[in-house]
Amino acid sequence: MAFAPLDPVLHNQLRLAIVSLLVSVEGADFNFLLEKTGATRGNLSVQITKLKEAGYVNVKKTFTDNYPNTQCSLSAKGLKAFETYVGALKGYLGA
Amino acid sequence: MESELTPSESLKLIETMIGQAKQSFHRNSFYFLLWGALLIAAMAVNYLMAANGDPRGNYAWAVAGIIGGISSWAHGAREAKRKQASSFMDRVMRWLWMGFLATLLITMFGSASSGHGFSVGTIIVLTGLPTFVTGQLLRFRPLIFGGILFWMLGAVSFFVDMQTTALLYVAAMLFGYLIPGYLLKRQEDGLRTA
Repeated sequence: MAFAPLDPVLHNQLRLAIVSLLVSVEGADFNFLLEKTGATRGNLSVQITKLKEAGYVNVKKTFTDNYPNTQCSLSAKGLKAFETYVGALKGYLGA
Repeated sequence: MESELTPSESLKLIETMIGQAKQSFHRNSFYFLLWGALLIAAMAVNYLMAANGDPRGNYAWAVAGIIGGISSWAHGAREAKRKQASSFMDRVMRWLWMGFLATLLITMFGSASSGHGFSVGTIIVLTGLPTFVTGQLLRFRPLIFGGILFWMLGAVSFFVDMQTTALLYVAAMLFGYLIPGYLLKRQEDGLRTA
């Protein structure tokens, strides 16, 4: 039996954590993702950019009380990719 | 947080993150405490003034509505500024209570202006719905029981006189709103400091 390949964009600990968080919320800011993932600012920023380039995450930069605020949300493409990824995982685990 | 994942590690990570993000990000207890206290006070003023033959007690509802409306709006705006994420649950609850408010206002003004008479029992029964649903959404039993209590006392109020209905209203507000609101606040404070 051939297993479906796992999406390399999602098959990364931090990127998967970001997408898993975003799948449950309408939107989240950078600090929320930072707090929940426990990642460093630099690494989180790099992985969000990779997800954005893949079209999985929408990123909106705004200002709140004169401070820059990065708002992230999951795109329709990101949600579809996440569902496919979870389906493939279940295939591997025989679930 | 950077290493090769096995499929089971991936699934565990997904579960953990979804579990963390699923909770409500809003402090809901504020509204139960505010409205519970305001509406009990309004009913008490209304009851005491009516007992003394003063019809102006009805203004207590308007005053409570204005104070509650402004305070709720200010709190909501402050919370929106503070919170880092918005969940679907928050949106469901926001529209559930907005829908309840619209239903309540239409019922109150409709029954008052049509001359059919204003039924406190109807208000008590209606209040049970969003209270019960909020309790289920938050998986918070005191609010679930609070919602059921609103329905039970509301049903009883259709068969008793106005004075008893006023007492039932205060009891419903106290045990269905105020006390669950206080318990919810304690839970929220615990989550915040955890």
